[in-house]
Amino acid sequence: MDDAGFIFASYVITFGLVGAYALGVIRRARKSSREVPRDERPWL
Amino acid sequence: MNQTGNDDEIGTSADSLDLSPRPVSARQRRKRRPWPAIIVLLLVVVSGGVVLTKFLTSAIDYYCNVDEIGAKSGCEPGRRLRIQGVVDEGTVKNDGVTTKFNMSFGGESLPVTYDGEPGGIFKECIPVVVHGILNDGVFLGDRVEVKHSNEYEAENPDRVDDEVATAEGTACLQ
Amino acid sequence: MNTSMSKHSPRDRVTGTPFTRGLGVVILAGITLLIILAIFVSPADVNQGESVRIMYAHVPGAWLAYLAFVVTGISSVAYLWKRTRSLTWDRIAGASAEVGVLFMGISLVTGSLWGRITWGTYWTWDARLTTTAFLFVTYIGYLAVRGLGGTHQQRARRSAVLALLAVLEIPLVHFSVQLWNTLHQEASVAGRGTDVEMDGLMLFTLFLGVVVFTLMYVWLVLHRQRSLALDDMLDDSGLDNALTARRAEAQGVAR
Repeated sequence: MDDAGFIFASYVITFGLVGAYALGVIRRARKSSREVPRDERPWL
Repeated sequence: MNQTGNDDEIGTSADSLDLSPRPVSARQRRKRRPWPAIIVLLLVVVSGGVVLTKFLTSAIDYYCNVDEIGAKSGCEPGRRLRIQGVVDEGTVKNDGVTTKFNMSFGGESLPVTYDGEPGGIFKECIPVVVHGILNDGVFLGDRVEVKHSNEYEAENPDRVDDEVATAEGTACLQ
Repeated sequence: MNTSMSKHSPRDRVTGTPFTRGLGVVILAGITLLIILAIFVSPADVNQGESVRIMYAHVPGAWLAYLAFVVTGISSVAYLWKRTRSLTWDRIAGASAEVGVLFMGISLVTGSLWGRITWGTYWTWDARLTTTAFLFVTYIGYLAVRGLGGTHQQRARRSAVLALLAVLEIPLVHFSVQLWNTLHQEASVAGRGTDVEMDGLMLFTLFLGVVVFTLMYVWLVLHRQRSLALDDMLDDSGLDNALTARRAEAQGVAR
């Protein structure tokens, strides 16, 4: 199938982008959290 | 952490607490001019302008149907056109260099010559949009786009012979 | 930096909660199932062949981007409406717009690949593609406006007004396929007629795609909104730190 590359690429890109964004958010949050006291986070 | 203790002392120690403004450091000053955001915003305005121009010049009437050539404003022969029609059954001829076929819409038919082989899911009995110029009754295309419908049907080996009866194929039955 | 503030929390406890962790597990299972159904199990299309499989990422991406932008609009209204001017609404608006831009980007890329193998071209300036590009650019602009600085309330007010204008583009994008001649096909499910012209298993796969993308959206917005709250606290603590430093100086002078 000629289109297999395109089909796989679209799924790799889709979940790759979501995963990269999720990792970026968690990383940045960890960096900021070092200077914010734990008891100020309403979601915990 | 004695954050709250400090807050209580703020009134008592105010006489000795120096609250006068100090010169801002380079780091703080940079923070006040958010260059990344400004640059992105400029790029957004420029590309927004480009997209808007494309919308007004190209997108509103993306194509003319075959029967609208010379009949609808913007579809005058002699200018660059994008024509939509259904590829006529049995008319596709490819000599390796150029592809020739007829396409029709609304009872009118138009011969098309295209240098190369159309990409996508190009085949007979399917609607296409061809970009090009009309010359002596022949449409010289330089770009072929295949339009497909919003109907989705499972491919079934038993049904291959009925293919003409599917959404795109119905055009060939008329 | 004030070291007394840096209390190390368990690594996974920064923006995560038991809820988001459970959600994450469900999402990973959902993605696995979606990929199996989309790429291997669901049937090929009569006209488009195998290329129809890209639809299960492209369409949910576009829908969730619309939803994200609508949520941004609603949160902006909630921010402006309430007299408290709660910054939580502003941060939800910002997080949702960011995730919306991500999903719109995904939809543009997958749509472009899909277009290459069905239409024969990656891109064309028809009404649907052009209005989508405009929507995408608008929300990148919205995110840039959020980054322009000023106080948090200034940021919130500015971006809330912009969000209310930007959300008006969504009907234009959605109905562009009906308003104008386009290369893009009309909507299959939320289209003009009520009858859905799609094979059963294809429709189920598309539905699963929408569910998975919705869960991913919730997970991402929750985390991003919390990370934005941390950033805002960090900005505020900058002032606190400055005051603490001055107090330390003053005490040093007094002694």
